[in-house]
Amino acid sequence: MTVIDIFSGFLGAGKTTLIKKLIKEAYAGQKLVLIENEFGEIGIDGGFMQEAGVQVNELNSGCICCSLVGDFREALRQVLDTYAPERILIEPSGVGKLSDIVKAVKAVCDEQVTLGAFVTVADAGKCRMYMKNFGEFYNDQVENASTIVLSRTQNLSDDKIAAAVAQLREHNATATIVTTPWDELSGAQLTEAMAGGTQMAAALLEEAHHHHDHECGCGHHHDHEHHHDHECGCGHHHDHEHHHDHECGCGHHHDHEHHHDHECGCGHHHDHEHHHDHECGCGHHHEHEHHHHHADEVFTSWGRETARRYTEQELRDMLTALDGDEYGSVLRAKGILPAVGGGWWHFDYVPFEQEIRTGTADYTGRLCVIGANLDEAALATLFMVD
Amino acid sequence: MANKTIPVYLFTGFLDGGKTTFLQNVLQDTRFQNGDRTLIVQCEEGEVELDTAKIKGKLSVLSIGSPETLTADRLQEAFDKARAERVCVEYNGMWPIGDLIQNLPRNWQIYQVMMNVDATTFDVYLNNMRPQMLDKLSLTEMVGFNRCPKDVDKQAFHDAVRAVNRRCDILFEYEDGNIDYDDLPNELPWDMEADLLQIEDADFGMLYLDAMDRPETYDGKTIELLVQAAVSKKLPPNTFIGGRFCMTCCEEDASYIGFPCEYPMLEAIPHRGFVRLTAKVRCDRHFVYQDGNPGIILQVQSVEMVPTPDDIYVYYR
Repeated sequence: MTVIDIFSGFLGAGKTTLIKKLIKEAYAGQKLVLIENEFGEIGIDGGFMQEAGVQVNELNSGCICCSLVGDFREALRQVLDTYAPERILIEPSGVGKLSDIVKAVKAVCDEQVTLGAFVTVADAGKCRMYMKNFGEFYNDQVENASTIVLSRTQNLSDDKIAAAVAQLREHNATATIVTTPWDELSGAQLTEAMAGGTQMAAALLEEAHHHHDHECGCGHHHDHEHHHDHECGCGHHHDHEHHHDHECGCGHHHDHEHHHDHECGCGHHHDHEHHHDHECGCGHHHEHEHHHHHADEVFTSWGRETARRYTEQELRDMLTALDGDEYGSVLRAKGILPAVGGGWWHFDYVPFEQEIRTGTADYTGRLCVIGANLDEAALATLFMVD
Repeated sequence: MANKTIPVYLFTGFLDGGKTTFLQNVLQDTRFQNGDRTLIVQCEEGEVELDTAKIKGKLSVLSIGSPETLTADRLQEAFDKARAERVCVEYNGMWPIGDLIQNLPRNWQIYQVMMNVDATTFDVYLNNMRPQMLDKLSLTEMVGFNRCPKDVDKQAFHDAVRAVNRRCDILFEYEDGNIDYDDLPNELPWDMEADLLQIEDADFGMLYLDAMDRPETYDGKTIELLVQAAVSKKLPPNTFIGGRFCMTCCEEDASYIGFPCEYPMLEAIPHRGFVRLTAKVRCDRHFVYQDGNPGIILQVQSVEMVPTPDDIYVYYR
């Protein structure tokens, strides 16, 4: 089985440096072939590659005018037949279109060959200018990337990095964007980002389920969700939601569903929350109404990626602010963010409880908040990511 | 008004090459500021912006964001609106220079071409974007390499430029702002004083450029070289073209360059055949040199048919 990774990016973006880092730190021990299609700035250092056991094949026709797709496919096929490597790294011409290379790679894919990541390396300080003036081929590299790795972010202010990310996002809404200086990241962290990264929001929601199962607050123990559906603990039996909607058991009459929907979506009619909290009618005290439901039915998540650097005090103030109700009912927040002056903060938050500690770097700063009725705009302002 | 020649000053070079800074200096220079209204055509939006407040002369700026919108009508319209008398074009390094030349209004004439190059990226850009770099470099009358380190390898830059441009001024601007002029001799790979100038395949491009630049120095010399013949009825009697397909970057951009060869036994020369020939050189006007200036004409003394070589191309290297 061979995996093919592509590393595109304009001349001087740092493709070769990134590839070398990955060879050293992430792909050690794998049988690798590197296909070069550029007259590089840093000549491929034969000694390094030999030591790392990497076969280097150069395809020296890396100019814009060449439609090299035909040749390229042939060269790729030949590499597969000759070396049967575990992984092929392709460094295409910096002035070529990534989509052309992807097309050529897809053409040789079969049961034995799979596509890995399409990485585009972009100089963070220059990508705005390049996008504006180069047009097609540069935008093609951005648009077709599964991961965009920004280079030289250590030299830029938070605002400049944020502006670069915003520009790239206009052309690519889904790619993982790595904003952390490479020195702070291990090869493994980079390959994890290239594989799509971990979904912080999904993980938090999953955790919330869990949290919910065990700490419902209704005084009953629930093994798992289904259990919960049927034995809510409010003393009523609910087969399913509709049933629940109409026979809430809270002692109020509900005319129709829409009426419920306008409130919080939990299927209960509440004149207002406090009313509900205090007069549920089920005989139990609930902190709030959402405990009746699956986490993902009711909670929303709000997440952001950012290269902004924070001080510990800023973070403390932000998390403390979440205790109030102006951002919605925040249930949980979590994040990994770069620290002013270097290093990284890892934080965890549940209402009236926050933990901020230092930890390892991530490919970019990430934070996620889950809760009900989240005011996303206010959260973005609070965390200075709007 | 429409027939008056409008001078165009062309500022070329790659993004980040220092064009705008250079243009700014030119516009602030009192020798350039003669009171004429200037239209600035900017085809690139780099890091540095033109600081118009510092420029005394009257000017207006036209920004062109894509090559499709670079049209004679648009240029003329902006020119008329500005009531300008001359034009400075800051041209996008990625756009072919031909796109500009073809789209200038008819009475606009390029007076001067200048190029600014970041010395630190020149190599990589040249190697990976030869056509984009060379079409501008070959036309320029002055090329300034900026951000040069103190120990800049002048010879390397000199050779790279002279491979496509035999005449332009070359200057080096150091990081500290000092400027040095290139005074290296234009060395040729063959001995101009020899009885017989033997031109290797690899030097064909160089011969072509040098002979076009100063044909008189070849007058009366005897030369030996390998050519691919072009035989055509459109040529004067007893004349074929001895040339080569010369490649800038790849087969797609190879173009045929050559010299008129006079030979009475034309029937012995197959069209596209490879011929090793010895010829006496004459410098004169010729039908082939359509600009009316003299060029070199090869009076062929002997020919030898040779098989098609493995690589039919020659290169500007």
